[in-house]
Amino acid sequence: MKFLPLILKHLRHSWIRTTSTILAIVACIFLFCTLQTILVAIDWGLHINNSTRLVVRNGVSLMYYVPITYKEKIRTIPGVKRVSTFNWLLGFFGSDTNPDWTKFFPNHAVDSEEYLAMYPEYILSAAEKQAFLEDRRGCIVGPDTAKKYNWKIGDIFQLRSQIFPEAGPFEFVIEGIYKVDNALYPGTHSGMMLFHYKYLDDAVHGNAQANTLVVEIENPARAGDIAKAIDQMFENSDRPTHTETENAFRAGFISMAGNLTLLLRTIGMAVIFTILLATANTMSMAVRERRKEIAILKTLGFGSGLVMALILIEALFLGASGGALGILLGQMTIKALPNFPMIGDALRQYPNPGLSLAVGAAGIGMAMLMGLAAGFVPALTAYRSRITDMLRTI
Amino acid sequence: MTAEIKPIHQNGMVDVQNVRKIYRRDSQEITVLNGIDAQVAEGGFFALMGPSGSGKTTLLNLIAGIDRPTSGKVFVAGTDVSQLSEGRLAGWRSVNIGFIFQFYNLIPVLTATENVQLPLLLTRLSKKERRERALMALNIVGLTDRADHYPRQLSGGQEQRVAIARAIVTDPKVLVADEPTGDLDSKSAHEILDLFDALNNDLKKTIVMVTHDPRAAARAKICRHLDKGVMIDSEERELKDGVR
Repeated sequence: MKFLPLILKHLRHSWIRTTSTILAIVACIFLFCTLQTILVAIDWGLHINNSTRLVVRNGVSLMYYVPITYKEKIRTIPGVKRVSTFNWLLGFFGSDTNPDWTKFFPNHAVDSEEYLAMYPEYILSAAEKQAFLEDRRGCIVGPDTAKKYNWKIGDIFQLRSQIFPEAGPFEFVIEGIYKVDNALYPGTHSGMMLFHYKYLDDAVHGNAQANTLVVEIENPARAGDIAKAIDQMFENSDRPTHTETENAFRAGFISMAGNLTLLLRTIGMAVIFTILLATANTMSMAVRERRKEIAILKTLGFGSGLVMALILIEALFLGASGGALGILLGQMTIKALPNFPMIGDALRQYPNPGLSLAVGAAGIGMAMLMGLAAGFVPALTAYRSRITDMLRTI
Repeated sequence: MTAEIKPIHQNGMVDVQNVRKIYRRDSQEITVLNGIDAQVAEGGFFALMGPSGSGKTTLLNLIAGIDRPTSGKVFVAGTDVSQLSEGRLAGWRSVNIGFIFQFYNLIPVLTATENVQLPLLLTRLSKKERRERALMALNIVGLTDRADHYPRQLSGGQEQRVAIARAIVTDPKVLVADEPTGDLDSKSAHEILDLFDALNNDLKKTIVMVTHDPRAAARAKICRHLDKGVMIDSEERELKDGVR
């Protein structure tokens, strides 16, 4: 395009303004892509769980325990296949006075045999499984955690517990490194550590109780009935329960995911709108400063439509450049996020498919739309301006 | 399909017939030109003088097709400019008019050659042809050696030469110049006026020039005065007064 050098010369001439405008759009698109990818991952994570699994928790709050005796009672309900405890250890490296949370990974106490049968997504060899079940201090870890700490089978490590500080430190032997198959079981957490509930319960002298109970049922269509039957069974006890599907539990657990999504979207849109206003203002200033040039071009025979198109193309170029850089930065950040301390551990609960084509396309589309929106009013002003009026103000 | 606009009763290259121009500001009407008649023959050199606010630049803008008369006709190079739409007027200007401003009005981010090439961007010429033509125009104004300089690297006189090269690069029928020496020292002004003479005499360009400078007006073949929107004299009177 023969007019492109003219546009590029202008952008290069005002390089500070050009750079700052592009950086504003980069920030906007980076934020959009990153937030959107996290939201997609959370949303996906909420819907991939097996609907044959229910979670039983204390009816008042997750902060209170479920009596361990409920496990056997729940097993008697028709349609229930398996029941396992699921307890948080909140184990950490370091001392009680100086915990190192930067090295945290999720660690849970479960009824190992039942739990592994209920969760085929944690793939172990027969030998690993056997060794794990036979070793009281045994644990299995996910491939990401094993890689992060360069662990291999037979390695021993210690964790202290924030929940049971008086009982630590807990010593564990790695008996298995489970594999994940995201094609077969999408979204499987690859950084988890699982160990025997019995080991925890012994360490706290039989007072571990249960944070939650995971219940496997035979027919997912009966999930509602069975959940109701469980809650009815304990409704008149001093510890009533609240039973829901694993999906619903996860949604509630991640801080009311619906509201979180809305919050993130609102913040994202507010940032985008603010940057749009700033970009539009910058474009207006740029065009206002070029009234003389617009008058000259029109005098030389450039039609109003062509002048308008040149300004819009300039704005579009800024938008596209900022969008492309923003997407690149977003892609790099999204890939790196699971390795960040703290936030990475939280995010590893969800699949990390990277920047999707849809989010990338939406990002570049939004960047170009921002460019067009920012350039539209100045371009329209240039279109409407009369040569004689502009020449008079030169 | 657009209709071809043919000349009607046109005398010469520029023929201004009973032109009035009225500006409206709120409820107030300001008559800037009041019944102007003027003709410039092909190859003519027409100077227009008058005090500030007399309507000189307005008349020049009407001839250049960047403004429209309130009434009357303006024929330039065979076209009734007052009848053209905004879009067609822009196209017409790019072919028929070369405009020279008082303050040169070069685009600061472009080199001399690129500035001269600007009007050629509206043609079908290739990049190479555009550059060749621009260099040819710069050669005519004697600035080939400054082809790749930016306006900030040129003197006022040189900038005006580049502006003239830009005006002639499309080989327009009429050159219109608004105070072309108004911002120059006397030596540079003299050189620019010599260039105008050469364009008029050698290349047979029709020139319409607005000026305050009697020495500039003296170079023209016809010089007329405007005052309060009315032509107040004729060529013969100018000559009799010894302006030439």
